[in-house]
Amino acid sequence: MSKLGLRLPRITFWRVILVAILAAGLYTTFLRFTKGLGATTNLSAQFPWGIWIGFDVLCGVALAAGGFTISAVVYIFHIEKYRPIVRPAILTAFLGYSLVVVGLMFDLGRPYNIWHPLIMWNPHSVMFEVGWCVTLYTTVLMLEFSPLVLEKLPWQRPYKIVKSITIPLVILGVLLSTMHQSSLGTLYLIVPHKLHPLWYSPLLPVFFFTSAIALGCAMTIFESYLSLRAFRKHLDFHLLTKLGGVAAVTLSVYFAIRITDMQSRGVLSMAFGPTYEGRMFLAEMLLGVIAPVIMLFIPRIRNNQFGLFMAALMVVLGFVMNRINVAITGLDRSSGVHYFPSWTELAVTGSIVAAGFVMFGLAVKYLNVFPPEDMKDIAQGKRAELPALVAFKQPLWSATTLALVMTMIFMLASVALSYDGIRRRPVHTPLPEGSGTVDVSKGLANLKMPGDLAIKMGKTSPGLCMFSHARHVDKKNPNCNTCHSGLFRMLPTTPDITADRKMRNCGQCHDGVKAVGILQKDRCDSCHARKAS
Amino acid sequence: MDTQTVTKKALLFDSTLCIGCGACYDGCKERNKLPKSSANFLRDNLSADTFTVVNRRNNRYVRRMCMHCNEPTCVSVCPVGALVKSPEGPVSYEASKCMGCRYCVQACPFSVPQYEWDDPITPRVRKCDLCRDRIAAGLATACATVCPTGATKFGNRDELIAEAESRIRNNPGRYVNHVYGVAEVGGTSVLLLSDVPFETLGYKTDLLEQPLPHLTWNVLHKLPTVVSIGGVLMSGIWWITKRREDVKKAELEANSPEREANSPKKGTE
Repeated sequence: MSKLGLRLPRITFWRVILVAILAAGLYTTFLRFTKGLGATTNLSAQFPWGIWIGFDVLCGVALAAGGFTISAVVYIFHIEKYRPIVRPAILTAFLGYSLVVVGLMFDLGRPYNIWHPLIMWNPHSVMFEVGWCVTLYTTVLMLEFSPLVLEKLPWQRPYKIVKSITIPLVILGVLLSTMHQSSLGTLYLIVPHKLHPLWYSPLLPVFFFTSAIALGCAMTIFESYLSLRAFRKHLDFHLLTKLGGVAAVTLSVYFAIRITDMQSRGVLSMAFGPTYEGRMFLAEMLLGVIAPVIMLFIPRIRNNQFGLFMAALMVVLGFVMNRINVAITGLDRSSGVHYFPSWTELAVTGSIVAAGFVMFGLAVKYLNVFPPEDMKDIAQGKRAELPALVAFKQPLWSATTLALVMTMIFMLASVALSYDGIRRRPVHTPLPEGSGTVDVSKGLANLKMPGDLAIKMGKTSPGLCMFSHARHVDKKNPNCNTCHSGLFRMLPTTPDITADRKMRNCGQCHDGVKAVGILQKDRCDSCHARKAS
Repeated sequence: MDTQTVTKKALLFDSTLCIGCGACYDGCKERNKLPKSSANFLRDNLSADTFTVVNRRNNRYVRRMCMHCNEPTCVSVCPVGALVKSPEGPVSYEASKCMGCRYCVQACPFSVPQYEWDDPITPRVRKCDLCRDRIAAGLATACATVCPTGATKFGNRDELIAEAESRIRNNPGRYVNHVYGVAEVGGTSVLLLSDVPFETLGYKTDLLEQPLPHLTWNVLHKLPTVVSIGGVLMSGIWWITKRREDVKKAELEANSPEREANSPKKGTE
C-alpha cells in the first residue's frame, strides 16, 4: 500500500496530461470526420503526406522491429537467454501495428475502404504490398500475442492451438516484417525528383530495414526502463546490455552503408552545406547514430543502467528524426510549400502515442508480459538489492534523468526551431510571370472564332437575334472567360443558342451602361431582326 | 506493346500560339461541370475544381494539366487500381475503388493530381481525364475543341509528334529544339512546344527518361524470391538449431541421468 501512496502524485500529474491529450485527440477526431482533412491538417496537394504518415505509420511500424528481431533470435536461432524479452517485444510490436491502423483511419481519405487492396490487386504498387503487410502482420502479431490473453482464460484449447503454430507464425512474421520495414523505404523510391538527395537513395529499403532492427533493440531497452519506473517490473539487466551492443553494431553497419552510398552518389558534401536539410541531416546522424553508437561501445556507459537508457533513448529519437526527415524535411524544398503539422494533427499523434503507453501499462499490469519469476523476486525485494536499481530509486537520479531527457528534447527542439529560420528562406519563389506583355501576334494570326449563331426565338420575341463572336470579342485581347462558361455554354450540341426569354444572360452586359440595354425603352432592333455583320 | 491495335491519342500544346483567352480553361470547367474557382483565370492553380490552367510564365501563356504518361506513375502506385491507363491514352480515376491514401498525389512527377481536402467522408482525387468519354465517342477533348487559335491540338500521338517536329524544322529559330513529352518519364500524351526553355514555363527539365514505376518495380519484382528463399532459410536454421539442442539434451541425459533433476536445462516458457 505504501508503494501505491508513493506513486500516486506522479501518476496523477501524468494523468492530467494524458486526459488533456486525449481530449484534444477526441476533438480532432470529431473535426476530421465532420469537416475533413482540409480543416484538420496542414496537408495540401503539394504536401499530401504529413506527420500521420511520417510519424504514426513509419515509426509505428518500426516499433514492431523489436518483435521480429527478438522472436527470430529466440525461436529460429534458439538463443534461449533472450526468451524473457520475447513477450514485451511482441507486445510492443502488436501495439505499434494497432496504432498504425488507428493512425491510418485518420489519414486515409476513405478509411472504410482500407480492405480494398485485399481484393483489388495492383502488385506494381508498393502501397499494395504495404497494405497486405499491415493486414497480415497485424494478424500474425495478434496470434503471437494471443497466448498472453488465452493463458488467463479457463479454456486451454485455443491456447494450445496457437502454441502449436508458433514456429510457422514466427517465420511468417519475420518475413512479413522484413518486407514491410523495407517497403516503407521503397515507397519513397518513386519520388526521385522530389526527395532531397541526402535521403533519396536506391538503398532506401535497406536503410529502413537496418535502422528498424537497431530501433527494435533500443525500444526494448527503453520500455524495460519505463516498466521498471512505473511497475517495478524489469528484465535481466545483462540481457539489455547485450541488446545495447547489438543495437550499436547494427547502427554502425547502417552508418557505414549510408555514408558509402552518399559518397558514391557524390552528395556527401551536401551534408555540410549551410542548408536546412544539411543541418537536419547532421543532427540526425550525430544525435541519433554517432553519439549513441559511441556511448554503447564504451563498456562503462553500456553497463550502467542509466547510460544504457540514455543511449537507447537517443537511438529512438534519432530514428524518429530519420523518418520525419524522409517524410517531411526531405520533401519540403521540392514541394514549394512549408508543411508544419497543425496542432490538431499533433493532437491525434499525441493521443495515439498516449494510448500506446496506457495499453502497454495495462498489459504489463494484467498479463504476464514480464517473466513471473522476476516479478516474484521484486515483490520479495531481492532484486532491489542490485545497485543499479537502488540508484534508480533515488530522487537525485530521477531528477537527473528528467534533466537529461529535457536537454535532449531541447536539443532536438532547437534543431526543429531552425525550421522557422528556414521558413523564411527564399526558396521556390513562384515562377516569374514576366513584366512585359505577351506577344500573341502569332496566335492572333491563327485566331478562328465560331461563326454567327442564331438565338432561338421565344413567342414574344420582336425578331430573330443573331449572335456574332466577331463583334463581341476584343480581337487584340480575346478573353473567352467573360461570357464562358458561366453565361453561355461552350460545347454546344446544337448550332443555335437556346431561347433566353428575359434576356438575362445578354442582360449581364446589355444593361444600358456597359452596352445597349435590353429594356423596352432601348432599341430592340439593335440586336433583334437585324442582320448581324 | 499490346496497345498497338488502338491509336494513342494526344494533345499538342504550342505555347507560341496561345493568346491566353481562357477558352480551354472554361471548356474544361464546362465539360467537367466544375464550379468557378478564381476571379482571374490566369492566376488560378490546379485544384479539385480546376483540371487545367492557363498561366503567364516568362511572358508566355502556358497550360498545365495531367500529362497522361505512357507509363503513369500514379497508375503504378495506386494500391487498388483506382487509376487506369486506357490504351487510347487517358489516365482516369474510379472513385469507388479509392481508399484515399494519396500516394498518387505524392508520387506524380508533375504534381498534377488534386484532392478534395474538405470532404470528410468521400473525398476524391481530381484531375484531367483527357475527356475519356469524348475520345471514346470520336470527339476531340473539350479544351482542343474550343481553342480558337490551334494552340491546343488533339490528334494521334505519333502524328502530333511528327507535326511538332516539322513545326520546329520549318520555322527555324522559332522553337526550342525539343518536343517536351516525347521522352520525359517514358513519354506522355501531352506534348509541348515552346520558344523559351521549358523550365522557365514551370516544366521540370531534369526528369528521368526512364518511367518512374521501374524504380519501385526493380525492388518489388524481387519479393517472391526473397520471401521463398527467406522462408526456406529460416525453416532450415530453425531445424538445425533445434536439432542441435535436442542432441545436446539427449547427450546430457545419456551421460548423467541422475544429475538431471539438479540442473534443469531451461525454463518453462
